[in-house]
Amino acid sequence: MKGFFQELVRNKILFLMIAPALLFFVVFSYAPMVGVYYAFTRFSFDGGLFGGEFIGLKNFEFLFNSGVLWNLTKNTVLYNIAFIIISNVLQLACAIFLAELPGKWFKKSTQSIMFLPFFVSFVLVGAFVFNLFSNSGVINTMLTSMGLQTYDFYMHTAPWKYIIVFFHVWKGLGYGTVIYLAAIMSVSDEYHEAAKIDGANIFKRIQHITIPLLIPTFILLILLSLGGILKGQFDLFYQIIGNNGMLYNSTDIIDTYVYRSLAVNFDIGMGTAAGLYQSLFGFVLILVVNYIIRKVQKDYALF
Amino acid sequence: MKKIKTMGTLLVSTAVMASMLAACGSNNSNNTNAGSNEGTEASANTGSNKADAKAPDTSKKVELVWYLLGDPAKDQAKVTAELNKMLEKDLNTTIKLNFTTWTDWQTKYNLLLASGEKVDMLFASSWADFYKFANQGAFMPLNDLLPTYAPTTWSSVSEQDWKEATVNDKIYAVPATYPEYTPDGLVYREDWREELGLPEIKDLASIEAYLEGVKKSKNITPINGKAYNEIFTMFKSYEGFQQIGGDSGVIVSKSYDTPRDIVAYPFTPEFEEWAKTMKTWAQKGFWKSDTLSDQKEAGDAIKTGQGAAYWRNAPGAGGFITGLQSSNPEITMGYFPFSRFKNLTMPTLSVNNAMAIPKSAPNAERSLMVLDKLRNDPKYYDLINYGLEGTHYSMDADGKHIVTPPAGVAAKGFIGYDIATWGLRVESMERKKQAGGWEGFDALLEEFKSQSKPNIFAQVIMDYNPVKSQQAAVNSVIQQYGMPLMMGLVPDVDKAIATYRKQLEAAGVNEVLKYVQEQANASFDAQGIK
Repeated sequence: MKGFFQELVRNKILFLMIAPALLFFVVFSYAPMVGVYYAFTRFSFDGGLFGGEFIGLKNFEFLFNSGVLWNLTKNTVLYNIAFIIISNVLQLACAIFLAELPGKWFKKSTQSIMFLPFFVSFVLVGAFVFNLFSNSGVINTMLTSMGLQTYDFYMHTAPWKYIIVFFHVWKGLGYGTVIYLAAIMSVSDEYHEAAKIDGANIFKRIQHITIPLLIPTFILLILLSLGGILKGQFDLFYQIIGNNGMLYNSTDIIDTYVYRSLAVNFDIGMGTAAGLYQSLFGFVLILVVNYIIRKVQKDYALF
Repeated sequence: MKKIKTMGTLLVSTAVMASMLAACGSNNSNNTNAGSNEGTEASANTGSNKADAKAPDTSKKVELVWYLLGDPAKDQAKVTAELNKMLEKDLNTTIKLNFTTWTDWQTKYNLLLASGEKVDMLFASSWADFYKFANQGAFMPLNDLLPTYAPTTWSSVSEQDWKEATVNDKIYAVPATYPEYTPDGLVYREDWREELGLPEIKDLASIEAYLEGVKKSKNITPINGKAYNEIFTMFKSYEGFQQIGGDSGVIVSKSYDTPRDIVAYPFTPEFEEWAKTMKTWAQKGFWKSDTLSDQKEAGDAIKTGQGAAYWRNAPGAGGFITGLQSSNPEITMGYFPFSRFKNLTMPTLSVNNAMAIPKSAPNAERSLMVLDKLRNDPKYYDLINYGLEGTHYSMDADGKHIVTPPAGVAAKGFIGYDIATWGLRVESMERKKQAGGWEGFDALLEEFKSQSKPNIFAQVIMDYNPVKSQQAAVNSVIQQYGMPLMMGLVPDVDKAIATYRKQLEAAGVNEVLKYVQEQANASFDAQGIK
């Protein structure tokens, strides 16, 4: 304890600098965790926020009773795996291409254009999707004018997996690319110059210099996204699929299910229970994956 | 727009923050009720209050916080300032009028009550879960306060109206005195119907004939947008099913005359037959196969000549039709209330619109005094409901009704004053006609009154607590399997119905049904209905 105070006095400026960040996390991440308690109580107005009756795991029943939880968890996890892998690989590839591109102007404008979808709200994405795929949408109008049979997208579940993954990747591509680009830029030019002198062509250099040096960033980003693997992109799914029960078989994730179940009766306890399930699952998953990575390659592990 | 990303985290963080904030804003306005009956020097302040011997103490200046649904008017600040001037003089009170806006209002409303924010009065309604909240103890019981602090209202509101605002023997809200009939129905293009020589709309067959006729001749999608409400409300009214316990569930009473015959409608032969009919309607293209994903209101398509039918309740139809008369005078609309299927209408409950006081309210007494003024003093009533005379309206020649825009103000660019004061309306004080002054409305009202029966179903109080996990699962199944069936979008109706029923059972619909039956029977017993 004494050591800690000495440390505090010695580095007081540094501690002062980290204080706002600490405060932020305490106020917005740690203090609200108290609310986990709601998952185990029945809320009542008489008792106020913490006066509810303790009811154990009853709030979790609606997740388990109906027998849909397995399917929902599977959907959520599979979608997220597709999101994470496809997004990261494409972002990595785009970053490498951009880094190797000559011509500053072209590079910058490409980067900006790729970044733009990130700012488009999901409500608009939902409108895009509807206007592309609805019966009188762009695609079906095109098919008609070419004399082809129209395809009723909103009656078939098959295409939606791809549509959702596509729009997710499209929206996040520019953002992820910038992160990888920053990592590439931090690679010292000396490696490349040395390799050039040794006669390595551009593909060799990418394969043996850029990619290996990006792996730690890649793993870090994957690890970070794994924590949220059970947190579906509610905005994305809700805006694109909406109330269309026809498509739920292949597009229902935990978040949309919880929303649909509780939008009507607004139950604080059950909502918290669902959130807690997702967070716990993510927490365990990230511990396991991090453990595996630490066994294989200690330096790459998150902690 | 971020809806509810993960309900849990959102709720928890908001609730915790709110409770922290609430704790900080200490309770500096202590109760004003202490010794309220010894009106000595304070009684002078209460002005025109008639119970002058017992006038409540208003010596302490109080700022009230009120919440209304919806959006504030453009000139809200001016109107509120004027209101506060009057209130300060009469009751030594000012009001802070807050609005939930319509975006996610339900979530905000729930959070307002759950977080224990200091609110002195807010809108309450049977369609905003009044009974559920009252049963859970979110509101303050008013029985003891009303005679003292809102004497005029207390004596003028009818016993039946108070009864409808009563839960577990306590009055929890002050209902508006504004009886309405709000049966569902269909707005349609009367001009097209006549032009095409289609039969007059009076039953399901003529509706089908109309939809088919306009579909063929005008080459449009008749219900062009989201069509679920149109079809679902038609289904209920056509079969005479009376929904119990919320608009979204599957539990219905099979008919008004046998209220205790309560079933889950997806298990009835009527539903089977309906789903098959709707399949043929869907195939004929009365709505589009992507209707469940569509976010557009079918009414918007009517304005552009791209649609021909739209679901509205009767006053809503009036508003829609008068709106069209001024924006698209070339269109003539007709209205078919679904109540004609069974020749039955029920008046809305008095608590369809009401004002209630949350349990945590610091100044309940003063709120009631203000409400009494707003409801019964024409000066206040006109101000809160219609805005400033001369700016937002002027009096009609008859001295009873108002005209907007006011005399001397051009209609073009005029933005009226219109806020959701539904909770404090009083019919005898109204200066506006129901349904936006639509000329067809009076006849309809006569029709509704002639076939009116008491609303025995809306008083069945349920908070679903014992079956809430089943109810949540059932809600989800309805959307996934029920809605496509209702819209006739499934390839094989029989198979889809079998799946729907199986899923409902797995979700626990029978437990929900049993719970509703128990509650309903208890309520019918209490109401003295066989």
